[in-house]
Amino acid sequence: MKRRTWLLSALGATGALVVGWGVMPARSRLGSPELMLKNEGDVALNGWIKIAQDGAVVLAMPRSEMGQGIHTALAMLVAEELDVPLGRVRLEQAGSDSIYGNVAMLVASLPFHPLDSEGEHKPTKIKMAQWVVGKIARELGINATGGSSSVADLWEPLRMAAATARASLLQATAAAWKVPANEITVAQGVMQHASGHSAHYGQMAVAASGSTPTGITTKSREHWKLIGQAAPRTDIPSKVTGQANFGLDVRLHDMLFASVKMCPMLGGSAVSMDTKDALALKGVSKVVPLDAWGGGTAGLAVVGQTTWHARQGVQAIKVQWQAPAAGALDSQHIQANLLKALNTESGFTFHEQGVPTQAEKAATSRIDALYQAPYLAHATMEPMNCTAQVKDGRVEIWAPTQVPLMVRDMAAKVAKVDKDQVTVHVTQLGGGLGRRLEVDFVGQAVQVAMACEGQPVQLSWSREEDMTHDFYRPMHLAKFQASLDDKGDVTGLRIKSAGDAITPRWMGRAAPHLSGPIDMPDKTASEGLFDLPYGFASQHMSHVATKSGVPVGFWRSVGHSHNAFFSESFIDELAAATQQDPLAFRLNWLKDAPRYAAVLKLAADKAGWGQALPASRARGIALHESFGSIVAQVAEVSLTHGQIRVHRVVCAIDCGTVVNPGTVAQQVESSVIHGLSAALFGRIDIVGGVVQQTNFPAYPLVTLSQAPQVETHIVPSTRPPAGVGEPAVPPIAPAVGNALFALTGKRQRALPLVA
Amino acid sequence: MELNINGQRRTSTADPSMPLLWVLRDELNLTGTKFGCGIAACGACTVHVDGQAMRSCVMPVSAVAHQAIKTIESLGTAEKPHPLQAAWIAEQVPQCGYCQSGMLMAAAALLDKTPNPSDADIDAAMTNLCRCGTYQRVRAAIHRAAGHMKNGGAA
Repeated sequence: MKRRTWLLSALGATGALVVGWGVMPARSRLGSPELMLKNEGDVALNGWIKIAQDGAVVLAMPRSEMGQGIHTALAMLVAEELDVPLGRVRLEQAGSDSIYGNVAMLVASLPFHPLDSEGEHKPTKIKMAQWVVGKIARELGINATGGSSSVADLWEPLRMAAATARASLLQATAAAWKVPANEITVAQGVMQHASGHSAHYGQMAVAASGSTPTGITTKSREHWKLIGQAAPRTDIPSKVTGQANFGLDVRLHDMLFASVKMCPMLGGSAVSMDTKDALALKGVSKVVPLDAWGGGTAGLAVVGQTTWHARQGVQAIKVQWQAPAAGALDSQHIQANLLKALNTESGFTFHEQGVPTQAEKAATSRIDALYQAPYLAHATMEPMNCTAQVKDGRVEIWAPTQVPLMVRDMAAKVAKVDKDQVTVHVTQLGGGLGRRLEVDFVGQAVQVAMACEGQPVQLSWSREEDMTHDFYRPMHLAKFQASLDDKGDVTGLRIKSAGDAITPRWMGRAAPHLSGPIDMPDKTASEGLFDLPYGFASQHMSHVATKSGVPVGFWRSVGHSHNAFFSESFIDELAAATQQDPLAFRLNWLKDAPRYAAVLKLAADKAGWGQALPASRARGIALHESFGSIVAQVAEVSLTHGQIRVHRVVCAIDCGTVVNPGTVAQQVESSVIHGLSAALFGRIDIVGGVVQQTNFPAYPLVTLSQAPQVETHIVPSTRPPAGVGEPAVPPIAPAVGNALFALTGKRQRALPLVA
Repeated sequence: MELNINGQRRTSTADPSMPLLWVLRDELNLTGTKFGCGIAACGACTVHVDGQAMRSCVMPVSAVAHQAIKTIESLGTAEKPHPLQAAWIAEQVPQCGYCQSGMLMAAAALLDKTPNPSDADIDAAMTNLCRCGTYQRVRAAIHRAAGHMKNGGAA
């Protein structure tokens, strides 16, 4: 099968020019002990692992915990290699060295078709491009938690760091005991020898430091004791007692509170403000005009004795706002423009195979459809917030963030200090969902802190500010055209989609130093459309990247979240049009994609596909690959009293090697509910520049009484670990939409679905 | 103003119209109770007022001045968890965890009144929003805690 991957050669060449071949040779991510925090009694053995005096293992943690269980999964990897109980691994926030950067996330941003790029037999061109981008990512050292990439990225480096630490400890112990190292056994963090010697790691750490063992290998999978077993999450106990420390829970001596009001019109600003009444209020101390930081909108902050006082102050200010120079945004107008762009522009071709124009000419029939998805807000339960202190030329930040180094850079920029004068403390995140890949609120907090004469200030947003000043999932449209021959077989599929590209906008505001003058094609726009597993002979997938002006951002599962709805609904249309069972139709076109077929079959089997259901219920099925994981879902749906009711969702997932199966089930359940809220209710409308949905009543989430029972079935695998936090989001909307079609015979081509 | 919070007498200088949530969080540093929406729509701020689950973000502090206020901080501890907290850990309920204080307080009020709740009881009582979608585990954990308490486990 010939697929076009020429783009990657260009990317690879660009990378080489940017970074230079001189820095390309492979370099370990082990890091040196100096990278770790120096605490009395701890002995660092490399850039990831310290041994405490009591024998506990201290792990440098560069990734943020936002509910996905990553702090537990990564601790499991080192506990496994060091043979300590999970509870003996303590976490310490990692520093800013590039070993902590996320390489896998950047490599995954390459627009390769998964059927080409997976496994050992990938084409050399792809291997080279992945290698080059990996090297660039290694140099850039972007520490980000996102793209369902944390385990995939740290799987090898962390196990290697722990295995290397273990080898130094064993080497030092063998020398002390005068016995061969391979005769020492380790269990529960205690080393023992048949001669009667026994010691825990803490007793040998000083002797082990500085040694450089060679030829280290990690445990082979048949020796794993922790990896692959469901482990209770280490962050859960503090989350049931109210003790977990989220960004909003930071409390510092003498701390002030600030509340924010931004221009209601996205991108707009204040012409004038009357602060007299606000400043007269008891408990209100200051009003600080806010610039538009990190791609956000300008406005003002009121500083007060408590958040409530600050909010009272905000309400008392009279402001005259103005729309941005480019004019007020309007989502209906943007939708019309997207449709125009679809019909008039050619866009960028992400995938082409066969000869699509020939298939189209030879077709005896055609099926066309236009799909659409609205803007969406993230609506993390913990609204945006940041605590900052600017004092004596130094900045200290406490923030729930997915990008601590970008927080540091933003703070340095606003406070006009060197980056090394900024300290960032990453708190627990009350949800990330992609919203906390942005640093707009950090810029605001630092600007306010600069006006507070050295006092720390906690800046927080109301729900209304959070919902109306998000970086929204962009609106997208997609036009499908299938060609069929005289036997009714699909010979060609053409998909053209249009919508704003997220990555170049994000780079421009979060990492302007990495942002170029021209937008590179953004894989996230076309993912879930250009990379379908179905073996239609001719395919052409292109995307028209628009610039609406709406602040757009990464929303859990990004382009897949809407593109899977488009593609898996259209596949269902093809099955219906050719009078085939939706499962049989898919399997028929998955003959060259056995992994996909296996996942689909597993979900169908467990759901009882084809078996009778109570009257008024129907099943819908969907299959989708994202973040390296393949997920199939079968949804059982009914329509009662004009309401869509999803009763049961059976999910099969192939996410490669599983570290913590308990977390996989949790994330599947979470993803289904997240995707279902969007499928049933999610839409953000912009009128006159103003987002119309301001709080949960207008932007509802699925509630407990509406939640389906979700079943998770994991496909056993020995492949490297792939994504878990997002891949179960995309299939739920098409699974439910397809079930509704089975129930009503009416095809829904727009989100949210209607009863 | 005198407040009775978690069995302790606390003095607040707050304006009578200030919502209880902000007195708890910003004045008394009891940060276990969360802010989510400010309009009693999400339940992250749920506390008990004289045993009733109440959404503290819209409750003027003056309205509860003479009542017994209970927050997540007094539901149980790591060493001596409430049966619901133990069940929450056993069922691995929380993900990001932000809404869970409110969830637990709503569930505790439910079990106080309805020691052996049906699914319909749980549906009716548990209207708190969870963005991580932990709902089926919340349901399972409430049933688990109810079973435990019926078999002699202390509340």
